[in-house]
Amino acid sequence: MTLSDSVDGHVEGTQVVQPREDRNKPERSLLRPVAVRLRTAGALTAAAALIWPAQAALLATVLDGWVSGPVNWIETAVLAGAFLVLGLVRAAIDHRAGGRLFGAADVIVARERGRLIRRETRSRSEVSSAAIAATAVQTLPMLHPWITRYRAAMTRTMIVPAVILALALYHSWAVALILAAAGPLIPIFMALVGMAAEDASRKHLREIGTINTMLQDRLGALLDARALGAVGRVLTDFAARADKLRRQTMAVLKIAFLSSAVLELFSALGVAMVAVYVGFSLLGEVTFGAWGGGLTVWQGVFLLLLAPEFFQPMRELATAWHDRAAGRAVLGAVTEIEGSPRLPFLGKATLADPLPGPAALSWRTVSVRLGDTVRPLPDLTLEAGDSAALVGPSGSGKTTILHAIAGLLPLSGGTVTVCGRDLDEQTADSWRRRISLVAQTPHFPATSIGTYLDPDRTGRDPWPALVAAHADGFVRALPDGLQTRLGETGGGLSGGEFRRLMLARAIFEGRDAILADEPTADLDRHTADLVIETLCNLNRRGVTVLVATHDPDLAQAMAQRIKVGS
Amino acid sequence: MKSLISATRLLIAASPRIWAAGLALSVLVLVMAAALLGLSGWFITAAGVAGIAGIGIGFDFFRPSAGVRFLALGRTAARYGERLVTHDATLKALAALRVDLLRGLSRRGYRALSGLRGEAALTRIVADVEALDGVVLRLWAPIAAGALTLALACLALWLLVHWSCAVFLAAIYGLFGAVILHRLGLLSARPSAVHEARQQTLRRRLIDLLRDRDALIVGGRLRQAASRLIALDHGLRATARKLDRAERGAAFGISALTSLCVAGMILLCGALIADGRIDAPQAAIAVFVSLALAEILSGIRRGAAELGRTLIAARNVVADESGPSTVPATVRTAMSPRLDPDAPVLRIEREGAETVLPAGQGLALIGPSGSGKTTLLMQIAGLMPAGPTRIRIQGIDIANWPEDALRRQVVLLPQRSALMAGTVRDNLTLAAPVGDEDLRAVLECVGLTGTLAPRGGLDLILGEGGAGLSGGEARRLCLARALVTRPALLLLDEPTEGLDDTASHRLLTAIRDFLPDTALCAAMHRNQEHFVFDRILYHQ
Repeated sequence: MTLSDSVDGHVEGTQVVQPREDRNKPERSLLRPVAVRLRTAGALTAAAALIWPAQAALLATVLDGWVSGPVNWIETAVLAGAFLVLGLVRAAIDHRAGGRLFGAADVIVARERGRLIRRETRSRSEVSSAAIAATAVQTLPMLHPWITRYRAAMTRTMIVPAVILALALYHSWAVALILAAAGPLIPIFMALVGMAAEDASRKHLREIGTINTMLQDRLGALLDARALGAVGRVLTDFAARADKLRRQTMAVLKIAFLSSAVLELFSALGVAMVAVYVGFSLLGEVTFGAWGGGLTVWQGVFLLLLAPEFFQPMRELATAWHDRAAGRAVLGAVTEIEGSPRLPFLGKATLADPLPGPAALSWRTVSVRLGDTVRPLPDLTLEAGDSAALVGPSGSGKTTILHAIAGLLPLSGGTVTVCGRDLDEQTADSWRRRISLVAQTPHFPATSIGTYLDPDRTGRDPWPALVAAHADGFVRALPDGLQTRLGETGGGLSGGEFRRLMLARAIFEGRDAILADEPTADLDRHTADLVIETLCNLNRRGVTVLVATHDPDLAQAMAQRIKVGS
Repeated sequence: MKSLISATRLLIAASPRIWAAGLALSVLVLVMAAALLGLSGWFITAAGVAGIAGIGIGFDFFRPSAGVRFLALGRTAARYGERLVTHDATLKALAALRVDLLRGLSRRGYRALSGLRGEAALTRIVADVEALDGVVLRLWAPIAAGALTLALACLALWLLVHWSCAVFLAAIYGLFGAVILHRLGLLSARPSAVHEARQQTLRRRLIDLLRDRDALIVGGRLRQAASRLIALDHGLRATARKLDRAERGAAFGISALTSLCVAGMILLCGALIADGRIDAPQAAIAVFVSLALAEILSGIRRGAAELGRTLIAARNVVADESGPSTVPATVRTAMSPRLDPDAPVLRIEREGAETVLPAGQGLALIGPSGSGKTTLLMQIAGLMPAGPTRIRIQGIDIANWPEDALRRQVVLLPQRSALMAGTVRDNLTLAAPVGDEDLRAVLECVGLTGTLAPRGGLDLILGEGGAGLSGGEARRLCLARALVTRPALLLLDEPTEGLDDTASHRLLTAIRDFLPDTALCAAMHRNQEHFVFDRILYHQ
């Protein structure tokens, strides 16, 4: 035990795991692709651990030689050399096994991450994008310690102590008895103490989690705290809460560490008892326990060196219980995202040939399923070059209609006709080549304005589209112009400015129909009027325009108004 | 490295005595482990020698065997104590680091402070402090404990065995061990930085993809975007592999070094025995101790492997913590400046024009989006440099106001305001303790009494960032939080956004009724003709 393992292994041996069939199943299926690799790597680490008895034998020979007579130079040199070579072999095997174990974990993380990304692109879930990203990027690698440590430790625990016990028994039944008595007692005591502190590691992790959530919460409100003159109180309050959490955590850790102390106590006592027995036996104070008379010096040293290695795999396994619990928690998080309700879209979202014909659309008696309710939507007919506004209170389904027309939602009844054909899996991609969608919520991506407007890097001039969307003025005023990085803080753009950028992107795409969701939200009257003018100009040039809006002026500017909701 | 040292100082300063106790216990654990093996080896070898010589009866077996038992039990106890103490110290340091970071960041200007709301910034900061949490526990404490233990072990070998054994041990573990760990630190520094950057990129791009998913589907680019993410993942895992290779290489080095040390010690002791300088039991001590000391190196390995990541985190956190401050260093005292009783609450001079706002009156700032209304409010609040605009509050230039005194006079409600986890009362009393009577009055003023009462009123518990309230309710609660401080000057950025005209009028009237003597200054899109505004400042 070293300092280094005290943070992640601080509660080694505290998990009392009740193996149940249903709990192990997801675990097995997760590890199936690397099962063979894990087994061979585990066997390799066991083989490396079993080199130690040979090294112990060499050391015993050296000391035995020194005790029994004058130093034989050649013999000592050969033994030391052999000890070094075996040590190098052991280190090399461990190195190789470690590489294989890491590789196995890497395969699993890659597979799970790929699956997560592909699943989320195929269908929208209700989990927030930040949570999905955190799981995919930060949480999944936490599978590593479990995969690289737990399995191998398990293999070693099954093989190494048994072999060492047999070796000890061959030389002395008393030493074997000491080891056999101390060994199995370890799990029993671990279980006893562990019951009191079963979830200590989870509590500790939660404490770190809580303190980080508290930190994020305060960071997010730091501007308000400063503007209110509340920074001092916020800091004092944070410190007090953190201290309370610390005291609670320490109370739990006191018990949790007790279980690992018990584990260490048994192994330390086991080693001490072996040492004392061997010493007494060599002195002739004790005459029982060895086969045929007392122990020799060689046997004594050999047995003393074996004793700690008998306990080592069990100690490693105890640490790995913790990794396993953490790994299962990761698995739980992934399964939760996997199982959340999803909305698939129509088509494949690849570049297909555009649907021919005028960009007209219509639907009758269409309904969509939203959560548990099936919602009927008002009938709609839009000839190519028409313009229309969907109006109605928030939550009445305006956005849903736009999404359904773009094939982003499955319909639960009725059909949408686009360019004279039914909108379905086959036509969706081709139909989407004819339309642009301006989303309701602005999201600043981590790219430059230029790349945002022209993601396919067609090299066309973006300025006409910027001018048309009345976005050229502020883009020109930016020090880096089109090269300005947007990113989360928006590169200095306001929400209203970004809305015009979204519109510019739609214009740049040059499609025959534009679906715009609240294009004038967050804009002052003057700018809103400019945006309305832009949409009307597009419509005059033959583009079909369908907007969802609260803005009466925008609704008035469209040729027809369709009331959504009651 | 400089940042790492100042970050470490910060972590240790939280509880230096506990850290010292933790270090002492760590040394005790390592020393006892080495002593246990050394003593056992000596005991068995000496017993063997005595047994062969037939003088076993005269051998003092009591003290060594008691020593072995004592060391075995003592090591376990010391280990338990060490873990408790170092964890306590780490948890204390963890809180101290975060409080210090919050304090440092709170002195920043408006842009930096509002940038903290971004999810990427929050994730970055939390990841950085987390990377620093273990720097003492996993790096400095093992290094210090290892060095002390090695020194003690060498001293013991010098006294008990032979000076050459001590020198050999120090050379192998001290010198070569340091070389291996230093190399590990160097090898993992660059990949750590790259790994961290790639992690942030992948996270960010994945969020971009998910939030822009509709546009990507309509544009037929979704598949391409997903494949690009998979490619990023390849790069990310490649650096992880590099880091793993470096760490496994060091583990191999340490393991090989141990074998080398033991083998060398065998040869050295063999020579010493042949020369008659030491006897076999003494040699056993040297060999067994050199075997036991491998633990000091593996203890430092993890900290060394994380060094690269830790250095980046230290640089970021120290930069965050001591970044440019908007609090003038010369006037950070809490003393209130002498106020001019005849001066107006607020006086703004810009482009030759002067605007004056006395107590109890209202000023509306109007102008198109992006014309700088928010900037002016932030300048008045002292959260942005005023530039050529001259701003005086109660006759004193804004630049000369001490931070604490200014906050008692001027309160600002930003356009996008955030609540914190806790009860409604916790949120309202963020700035100062206020009686329930007043809190109920302010909830009534912003029209929240009716909506909150059935859900627990002041005792309603809100989640992170005020989760549990609708957007409109949260805005009203933020307004109430500002009103209840009853400042001399209240700055409001778009207080009626999202409200229709009737509701806006009612709210502005209620604000004036609640704060009859306060000077109000508000950036407005509409409703600037309301009677609370005695004058209007138009922005181009």
